[in-house]
Amino acid sequence: MKIFKFIISKIFLRKAILGISMILLLCMANYTTFTATRSILSTYQGYQETKYINQNGVYIANLDPDSYIDMDVITKDRTQVVYEYLNNNFNYAFYTDGFVVTIPNIDNMEISLSYINEEYYKLNQFELSQGENLDFDYQLDNEIPVLIGKGLSKTYPVGSTIEIEESVLGRPITLKVQGVLKQNAYHSNYYALNSKTYYNFSILVPVNEEFINNANIDLQLNGLMDLTILDTTNEKIINLSEILKENLGLEFNFFSQKENYDYFNEYYIHSLKIIAITTLILLIVITCISIWNALVSIRLMLKDFTINFLVGLSYSKLRKIFYSYFGILSCINLTVIFIFTAFNRYGCWLRKDASFATYGLFGLIGIDWLALFVVILSDIIIGIVIIENMLRKIKKVPISLGVLQ
Amino acid sequence: MKIIDLKIKEKVYKNKKTQLSILNNLNLEVNVGEKIAIVGESGVGKSSLLNIIGLLDRDYDGEYTLFGLPTINLHTSELAKWRNEKIGFVLQESALINSLTIEDNIKLPLLYADSRKKEFNSKDFESIINAIDIQHILKKKPLECSGGEKARAVFARGIIMKPQIILADEPTASLDIENRKRIINLLFKMNKEFNTTIITVTHDLEIANRHDRVIHLERRK
Repeated sequence: MKIFKFIISKIFLRKAILGISMILLLCMANYTTFTATRSILSTYQGYQETKYINQNGVYIANLDPDSYIDMDVITKDRTQVVYEYLNNNFNYAFYTDGFVVTIPNIDNMEISLSYINEEYYKLNQFELSQGENLDFDYQLDNEIPVLIGKGLSKTYPVGSTIEIEESVLGRPITLKVQGVLKQNAYHSNYYALNSKTYYNFSILVPVNEEFINNANIDLQLNGLMDLTILDTTNEKIINLSEILKENLGLEFNFFSQKENYDYFNEYYIHSLKIIAITTLILLIVITCISIWNALVSIRLMLKDFTINFLVGLSYSKLRKIFYSYFGILSCINLTVIFIFTAFNRYGCWLRKDASFATYGLFGLIGIDWLALFVVILSDIIIGIVIIENMLRKIKKVPISLGVLQ
Repeated sequence: MKIIDLKIKEKVYKNKKTQLSILNNLNLEVNVGEKIAIVGESGVGKSSLLNIIGLLDRDYDGEYTLFGLPTINLHTSELAKWRNEKIGFVLQESALINSLTIEDNIKLPLLYADSRKKEFNSKDFESIINAIDIQHILKKKPLECSGGEKARAVFARGIIMKPQIILADEPTASLDIENRKRIINLLFKMNKEFNTTIITVTHDLEIANRHDRVIHLERRK
């Protein structure tokens, strides 16, 4: 320990600029690896979640960005006509969220209501930590069985009821907790797969035909925006587009399975490759600069090192010292990334941002830990490359010459 | 009793264009407590020989037995331990770390010594610095000291572990007469008091002749 302290403080850190630049370079390498890995993992999760839409006969509704929206023209009668047409002609997955309700809970979060129909529920295979699956065969006048996020499970255990003033139905309803979603259950954005919202403070409300028919225009219209039509044909989709245009004055794009597949490949698989390759190139460049930086340090400190060799330092001891030093730098950087990430995650709790509040070991969720693990692996590789290059450089100069440098 | 038994067939220095062969067919046997001077023209291989004896260089064709053990099989950490405990290097005054104080430079070998030996040698530190009269520069950095003071500091570092062999490479080359005498007297005092084997590389024949044996190295003809 004494030798380690001596070599690091009296020799290695004597040229502060070289020591600091090494820390900064490693920090850059670590942060780049961390963000790239997390982004890739998150995109992969989103891709897995939305994989089911890459099937023949699946079309996803997407409001044409150039479509002019005149809300005065859209009335409940018109949206009702659309839903009747949908119910009579299609099998569809319905999902809409963002309806906020205030109910008591120990974390004082505003709760988001997400509405899903049976098809959507079947396609997404929600994992539960407690309770039973949703039941879509209920009467609006009775208790509605719902799934809740983990954040609500202490306040509302399975079997308990929640009274809410339901905004989309416009009247009070009673929800009965049927099950609790697994911790950090999420929903990915179809068009930005690495972006997701978490269900920890959400209530999943099952909607059936009766519910949709009784819901207000907000739910009905929002539900159309991400509608997934299943087992259909192009001709039927063209007809649906016409119905939508005719009744709501809105132009929808319906992307087919092939278009979706191409979209994913073009934008996501391709962007994953770009992220991975760019990160790799960046890491190689940073490693090369680090090696150069380390070799400059060695050149400046060669005499000091070789005098130490003369009086008893061995190459094996120096190797251990270098690896320990690099290990400490790596730990400092990992700690900084850990604190930064944990603080970001914790920030969602402080801001009462229910859609992004997550649970995890020391505040970090699974993909954060995996990304940190990848950072450790990359540090091990970078460390070996830098240190072995430094030792090779030191060994190349005979001790006797180094002393008299 | 033999402490060094060295047989060198050849030591070759190579670079991209040329190669230089020195120390051809050299046999050297040194007994415990002997004082040996190595003299010869520049480039004949005096310092190279000292490096080989001092376990700093193993890149040569030959056999070397030190303290009765063949050095060929010794691990680098074992070599480092021997350099720390058994061999003291007294080099020119430039062989000091400029960022450390003179005291830290002198105590550097203690950093690598095992704790028992470290304690023992720490006690001797006072007597060594008194003997070579460098108390007043202990807190100074090498760049603040004169050539003679630095040479004495290098000497102090070389003997602090009470080595069995002292290898002195031109220890007085850049010193005035007074400091030259002082360093050589200190070397011989070590030899007298502790029966330390002294091997000195020098150009100075007057100093060389004060040793028990003088070895003249010549270029191969």
